[in-house]
Amino acid sequence: MALTVVDQGLLGTNAQYTGFKNRIINGAQVINQRNATVTTASTFVTDRWQVDNISTSGSVSFAQNTTAPAGFTYSLKITVTSADAAVGATDLIDFRQWIEGYNIADMGFGTSNSNYFTCSFWVNSSQTGTYGVSFRNSDSSRVYVSTYTVNSASTWEQKTVTIPVDTSGTWLTDNSRGIGIAFTVMAGSNYQGTAGSWGTTNNRTTSAQANLLATNGATFYITGVQLEKGSTATSFDYRPYGTELALCLRYFQTWGGFSNQDYISYLGIGYNSTTLEGVLTFQQIMRAQPTLAYTNTFQFNDVATGYNVTSFILDNVGLQNARLRTAGGTSGITGYRPYMLTTSNVNSRLQLSAEL
Amino acid sequence: MITYKHCPPDAMNLPATSIFKMEDNAVVMCIPFDPANTDYQAYLKWVAEGNTPQPAEET
Repeated sequence: MALTVVDQGLLGTNAQYTGFKNRIINGAQVINQRNATVTTASTFVTDRWQVDNISTSGSVSFAQNTTAPAGFTYSLKITVTSADAAVGATDLIDFRQWIEGYNIADMGFGTSNSNYFTCSFWVNSSQTGTYGVSFRNSDSSRVYVSTYTVNSASTWEQKTVTIPVDTSGTWLTDNSRGIGIAFTVMAGSNYQGTAGSWGTTNNRTTSAQANLLATNGATFYITGVQLEKGSTATSFDYRPYGTELALCLRYFQTWGGFSNQDYISYLGIGYNSTTLEGVLTFQQIMRAQPTLAYTNTFQFNDVATGYNVTSFILDNVGLQNARLRTAGGTSGITGYRPYMLTTSNVNSRLQLSAEL
Repeated sequence: MITYKHCPPDAMNLPATSIFKMEDNAVVMCIPFDPANTDYQAYLKWVAEGNTPQPAEET
């Protein structure tokens, strides 16, 4: 069949694409490399999603959950484990995702424009009322507060907010923080302001903000988060699992957890009886030189014998590999002998983070 | 309490290009000197507040 009609609107630079239109990574909460239940601030939960602030006399936990609306299989769940009904001025609980500058470079932030972007998501909360969702640039000097309403308790509802692209401020379009999106479930007066315009503020919400912590055991689920160009929310951008995982690996990678002896993509060479160094090959090129964290113990293995190691140094770090060397606590190594690196048990983890 | 400590030099006695982040005097992460790394940005902020990292341990 011959192509006879081209919709010129779909060719414009402001067109809403039909694929890879969602600038949020892991909006459907399917990737969960950390597999963690998070109860402290500044901690990542599902991939790319960070618990930003937990400032309250109550307590909450964040974790991936299989409760989801039709078309989705996972959500991010917040559970109130200790209520705080009296909201103080400095109380704040929010979670967020920073979108890398490269991934919003086409939107025109900080330039003269009449563009819009639209954020849509599915939410299910046992606490009805008004909630804040805010957007900010890298240094939080430009902030836009928007709100949505949970109408029915414990019912999945899809929400949409459309925001004009900011014409002022400094917006980074490289591998730094591009735009941050934060969802607020509790906020005191220090974080409440006016919705509906860009400004210099630290606000997350308005004075109408609901308090999820009013009731012990309250729950809040969210999934299907999409941020796209234009003023219309379109259908969720379902990406293949492997593709979504690959997008996440740019920011976080982990080894271990499959067996008692998981092999790590590493080859080391002994220097003397206590010193060993080698190359750790990353699973994918990362956004920036990553930070190393590890839990539990590991072994350098020369096939015949394993030598325990409890402390590493990662240096000479690049975007796709780095030198990993001992930092003490290892003995029995033979100089100039090659060594593999394995976990010592199923709880051992070696993790790289280049999160925003 | 969060503090930082220099990593020891390598076998050739060349200085490390990363720094340890310590929590209650235990190593929790190893951070490369990359301005794009947000953990390194936090370290620089900590130094700018007047703090000084601990020296590296002798190896």
